[in-house]
Amino acid sequence: MAAFKYESHVREPLVEGKKDYHQVTEDIVRPIESSPSKLWWVGFIISVILLLFGVYSIYREVTYGVGEWNLNKTIGWGWDITNFVWWVGIGHAGTLISAILLLFRQGWRTGVNRAAEAMTIFAVMCAGQFPIWHMGRVWMAFFVLPYPNTRGPLWVNFNSPLLWDVFAISTYFTVSLLFWYSGLIPDLATVRDRAKLKWRKKMYGVLAFGWTGSTKHWQRHESLSLVLAGMSTPLVLSVHTVVSFDFATSVIPGWHTTIFPPYFVAGAIFSGFAMVQTLLLITRKVLKLEEYITLEHIEVMNKVIVLTGSIVGIAYLTELFISWYGQNKFEGWAFMHNRLDLFSPYGWSYYLMMGCNVLSPQIFWFRKMRRNLFVTFFMSILVNIGMWFERFVIIVTSIYRDYLPSSWSTYYTPTIYEIGFYVGTFGLFFTCYFLFSKFFPVIAVAEIKHILKKSGEAYKPANEKVETESTEEFYHQVSHHH
Amino acid sequence: MAKKKYWQSFTELNQTETHQKLAANEFREELPVVSGEGKGIENASASRRDFLKYLGFSTAAAMAAASCETPVKKAIPYLNKPQNLVPGVADYYATTYVSGGEAIPVVAKVRDGRPIKLEGNTLSTYSKGGTSARVQAAVLDLYDTARLRTPVSISGDASTALAIDAADKAILEGLKDAKVALVTPSISSPTTKLVIAEFLAKYPGSRHVQFDAVSYSSLLLANEASFGKKAIPSYHFENAKVIVSLSADFLGTWLSPVTFAKQYAAGRKFDQKNPELSLHVQFESALSLTGSNADKRYTHAPSAEGTVAAALLGAVSGTGATGVEGALKKGIEATAEALKAAAGKALVVSGSTDPNVQIIVNAINNAVGAYGTTINWAAPLQVAQGIDSEFETLVADLNSGAVNAVVIYGVNPAYEYYNAAGFAAALKKAKISVSLSERLDETASLCKYAVPSHHFLESWGDAEPKAGSYTLMQPTINPLFKTRQFQDSLLVWAGSANTYESLFKSTWTSKLGSADAYMKALQDGVVEAPATVAGAAFNGAGVAAAVSAVSGKKGGKYELVVYQKVSLGDGKQANNPWLQELPDPITKATWDNYAIVSPQFGKEVLKIDIADSRQADKYEVFMKKPVVKFTINKKEIELPVLIVPGVHAGTIAIAVGYGRTKAGKAGNEVGKNAYQFLTYSGSTVSWTVSDVAIAKTETWYEVAQTQTHSSYEGRHEVIKEVTLKDFKANPELIREERNAELKNYGGLDNYERDGSPYPLHDRPGIKWGMSIDLNSCIGCGACSVACTAENNIPVVGKSEVLRFHEMHWMRIDRYFSGNPYDADSVQTIYQPMLCQHCDNAPCENVCPVAATNHSSEGINQMTYNRCIGTRYCANNCPYKVRRFNWLDYTGADSFKDNQLTEGVGKLDPAVFQMNDDLTRMVLNPDVTVRSRGVIEKCSFCVQRTQEGKLKAKKEGRVLEDTDVKSACQQACPTDAIVFGNANNPESEISKVRKSNSQRYFAALEQIHVLPSVTYLAKVRNAEHIAGHAEHEGGAEHAEAKHEEKHA
Repeated sequence: MAAFKYESHVREPLVEGKKDYHQVTEDIVRPIESSPSKLWWVGFIISVILLLFGVYSIYREVTYGVGEWNLNKTIGWGWDITNFVWWVGIGHAGTLISAILLLFRQGWRTGVNRAAEAMTIFAVMCAGQFPIWHMGRVWMAFFVLPYPNTRGPLWVNFNSPLLWDVFAISTYFTVSLLFWYSGLIPDLATVRDRAKLKWRKKMYGVLAFGWTGSTKHWQRHESLSLVLAGMSTPLVLSVHTVVSFDFATSVIPGWHTTIFPPYFVAGAIFSGFAMVQTLLLITRKVLKLEEYITLEHIEVMNKVIVLTGSIVGIAYLTELFISWYGQNKFEGWAFMHNRLDLFSPYGWSYYLMMGCNVLSPQIFWFRKMRRNLFVTFFMSILVNIGMWFERFVIIVTSIYRDYLPSSWSTYYTPTIYEIGFYVGTFGLFFTCYFLFSKFFPVIAVAEIKHILKKSGEAYKPANEKVETESTEEFYHQVSHHH
Repeated sequence: MAKKKYWQSFTELNQTETHQKLAANEFREELPVVSGEGKGIENASASRRDFLKYLGFSTAAAMAAASCETPVKKAIPYLNKPQNLVPGVADYYATTYVSGGEAIPVVAKVRDGRPIKLEGNTLSTYSKGGTSARVQAAVLDLYDTARLRTPVSISGDASTALAIDAADKAILEGLKDAKVALVTPSISSPTTKLVIAEFLAKYPGSRHVQFDAVSYSSLLLANEASFGKKAIPSYHFENAKVIVSLSADFLGTWLSPVTFAKQYAAGRKFDQKNPELSLHVQFESALSLTGSNADKRYTHAPSAEGTVAAALLGAVSGTGATGVEGALKKGIEATAEALKAAAGKALVVSGSTDPNVQIIVNAINNAVGAYGTTINWAAPLQVAQGIDSEFETLVADLNSGAVNAVVIYGVNPAYEYYNAAGFAAALKKAKISVSLSERLDETASLCKYAVPSHHFLESWGDAEPKAGSYTLMQPTINPLFKTRQFQDSLLVWAGSANTYESLFKSTWTSKLGSADAYMKALQDGVVEAPATVAGAAFNGAGVAAAVSAVSGKKGGKYELVVYQKVSLGDGKQANNPWLQELPDPITKATWDNYAIVSPQFGKEVLKIDIADSRQADKYEVFMKKPVVKFTINKKEIELPVLIVPGVHAGTIAIAVGYGRTKAGKAGNEVGKNAYQFLTYSGSTVSWTVSDVAIAKTETWYEVAQTQTHSSYEGRHEVIKEVTLKDFKANPELIREERNAELKNYGGLDNYERDGSPYPLHDRPGIKWGMSIDLNSCIGCGACSVACTAENNIPVVGKSEVLRFHEMHWMRIDRYFSGNPYDADSVQTIYQPMLCQHCDNAPCENVCPVAATNHSSEGINQMTYNRCIGTRYCANNCPYKVRRFNWLDYTGADSFKDNQLTEGVGKLDPAVFQMNDDLTRMVLNPDVTVRSRGVIEKCSFCVQRTQEGKLKAKKEGRVLEDTDVKSACQQACPTDAIVFGNANNPESEISKVRKSNSQRYFAALEQIHVLPSVTYLAKVRNAEHIAGHAEHEGGAEHAEAKHEEKHA
């Protein structure tokens, strides 16, 4: 109860409307218990169609070869790894929100963390598709696992950043999944307890792992959350750092850059929050959860976007400056000609990236804009376009013209199946998200209840006098009332 | 004691029933485990044993399913092994490559009865072991699916197979009392000449016509006028200090390029202690391979070739260079001075098809004392003997009926003749026409019968490309099909009892004196008379007339030059996918012909200014090129155009050898036929057209280039070149430049150690290394084809080259520098590029599965069956030499039916031709055929290094240079590539590196990848290096640098 004291009356309520615990449960669990809306079906079917097209695209690629894509002898990675890094980046906000914000006791995270964590998991699932299916011989993909084998002393190559990726991504995925699931357990138990249908009771019964809500359960749950948060926090930083090593440890000008780890992490959070915005703006509308995902939530996340966007901007400029200031003329060429020159073949992509990532988020310095839903939605899309192009710029504009001018590539555009693979991951992502929104509480019911009485609109005014009380008075009151 | 009984309990002592029951059980007490149904584990529906069975079965099934085993094809072992044949050990037979009149002594490598590789025969003083791309590719022609497999009778488009007896009967019937024309390419073979004489004797009134698709009539006629000999002397480029070529592509396509390249290289080998070079000046209109190697190059309109020759003669003889002006005049005067100064050590050659020009050139050569020094009349070249007018007469005679039977071998006039339609019509009039060519080509399919001859690798024979230099031919494989060597056919039709083999054997045995000498000659492959050099008396009577005949010739705004490409030549090997896929040295284009135009043409007609980086970018990053309609001699043709710096402003160049219609799957309908633009001038067939009308079309056409950017952007870390003058002034120039690049990392001396935070590895034992001399590399591409043949490199076809997917392990990077709008200023440099086998290889550490790693001998090796295809290594290779198997190019994949013929990832017919079981016989069994999805790259011919080491080991000695030669090294006609053990101070590689220390450099040395392939800088005998800022002074070079950037 000590935190109660420090809930500032200046802060806006995090739960709007006259809510009590029951009402909260009602609001959030109801969509699970009623049949899905028409809109849900439309969205779900579109997602499945996209997913199927993705599956077909991969089928083509696996059967006929990576030649189903337009990569070439100079550009060995294009859309595949661009999409990989992009999805991994998107998968950063969830863990940041659940882990780091939990450790920092940011109460506002409770409204958004469940959906954000789900998004993280789905995004990492999408991301994982690319390094797997981009392999020329995917049926031998298990070679990347360090398992005891009969091939003599043959082992994986621990020097390779791709191998680090294998560990980083799989660890991240596992921890994120555990974190998300452990958070779900009390809510699943709530659904179970409310269930009137037999199958529902059984299903949620299994999923809830026998949660009874006993104090012991809560105590363990809290400890587990803290432990997982502690484990996840370094992961938020490490995953994209490791992904950035794919490039930073190479010799290719434009890839070989020491600034990459922090720059990638900032970019990842940036794009992750943008994606959270996109999804939540839709979710709160469709599931009528405006009272739980409030303007305050959106504004806070927009602040994160303008902060990380600016960090990314500084990184871009630093990189540019160093390429000019440094003595590596090959790096100078990669930046000055391949990117900065608007009229060079891929110059447009650099400016698109700059415009979307650095310039456009600056609009969020204005409170009015931060709280404008349409602006936020538009910006969230724009940021993710920009962040996609950031990865594209890094990957393609570096290698398409590197050391030997003889090997400078022709213009690379994706084939239909390359696009299909990307679109297919959207299908996977949204299929998962639709199923999630149908079968799981999209907002952490238990956690919302946790803050309801200190940050709920209905309770907050009553608490305001606490602010003026001395600590002794406060304790006196608390001990006598309970 | 034995009866003593121990008991544990009373029940045991008493042996109750319960106890006995329990004792029989494995577990005496009830097990605590309860199954789902509440029964004991023993009663569970799936027992533990079953569980293990299921586990084992499912694991095994998963393993079996995952391993995707390819079906095993069984080979049948020898029942009785031939005595001299050891499976897996190659035999080598000396034989001769023959195409048209060209004959190159070669050694065929035969593995398990199949010839799989050709190497130059080093015993020959004629070729000195040199080969060309076409020679290297010829082994593939043996296994060409388009070869005609049986004798056939032809009517219209249909052909019916005939037994050889039936064919002979029908043909003998037809030839009865006929006046036969035997049409062949130039024949230098002494025994074939005997056969031909016997055949002609049988049919009175018959004659032998030699038809050369690329004829040297002008040279023969001019020599007849100047020396009274209708012959071509041999040339000695190695003796020339000054070489002047007037449009003669003597390194690529002119006369005998393999031998000339070898000789030429002698004058380009550079000795740093005694820095001298020959001077090579080229006057030409388009940019030829030879021109691209010239120290000084002057361009002129094609119609001015006579004027230039006359002016050069004037300048040499002191009457002054008239009829020319500006830079060209200055160039001619300077060249004349150089020629005069090098009298007796000078050589002028001309590629002109005008006899008058050749007469003028003879006069110049006479004036500079070339005869008897650099030109040898004692041993004439016999590779070209055809006189254009003779074939012209034959066509007339066929039309008039004076000749009524035609027997054709080895030539294809229905495609190669300027008036192909006229020839085809005339051929129809013959009462019998028989083709002896190997395939049913354009001409053969117009004949009534075709009795296909053997491929040269199945044949007996000989050739005398240069008088006194014989090269013998012996079969290396039993004939694959029901074919018969053309000499045998002629003998049969001549009614001779002899076979060609017996004739050949008896002729040579008697010539050499003994059967042993014959066997020895067959083994060596060459028989050579002692070399003598002689001049000839020059008759200058016709020179004045020749000068007046050529002077004042003017062409239109745009003029045409028809030329041969280095890869395809006259087009006889058009169905050879290796050659089709070999990038042209100048344009780097494959699988097509096109019109080469100047940057001026680009700017004026196409509105593409290649000096403008934005427009150049746009032009080069897309494979599609604008199509222009050319009207040439009233014939219209639409061709894509490629803008090439160094081409004279008004010149358009189109290559022959394309547009075949009956070449085969791979060669059909590739490009367009340019032979149709040749004209007959009354005495010779001319390869230039002085007026061409152009019209830009709105269409585009994709030309598959393997390199699209042409400038090295001043990146001297990649390429180093220096002028002879500068080198003499400061021989340390290259080393200073390297030191400057490396100064922040320890400088030249400590770079290897200080350039990296990691400790150095020692490299005991063998350390393979390669040195490539950019000074002698002429960019011909023979190495590239040799590598393809040796290492089973897949052909990907035009559709895939267009997608930048070609697979060559060895490529030649070609860079231009200079001002694109000043053709004379353009300099070209070639850099063979292959895996550099870096000691600190960036590809190795990024592979997640360690599929590419370093051998203890310094070879960066690929483990194909470990590769999972992440392509990270290819991305991280600074040299971009790694190639990925994007699709199933080889048909070697374990996935069935995965080669598409349409849609995304479609493969061309050429790929399927290469995957035919017949064609696959060319594969080198020592090298894995790579499957889809893995990376591959140069292996330093690891199969050869292993073989060489084994050989040395078996003989109990240390490895020597002669034990191992890489395929590219062996093929190189100029010996630019040296390969060997760099740890052995006695090896050639060590010596070359040491004795050329001042030119030694590694490409991109400053990124500390420590390549095992090193280069020797190019030294140009020119005024300056185009666009080279550091070695020149003043504003001029700054401007040049700017220009170079855009070239």
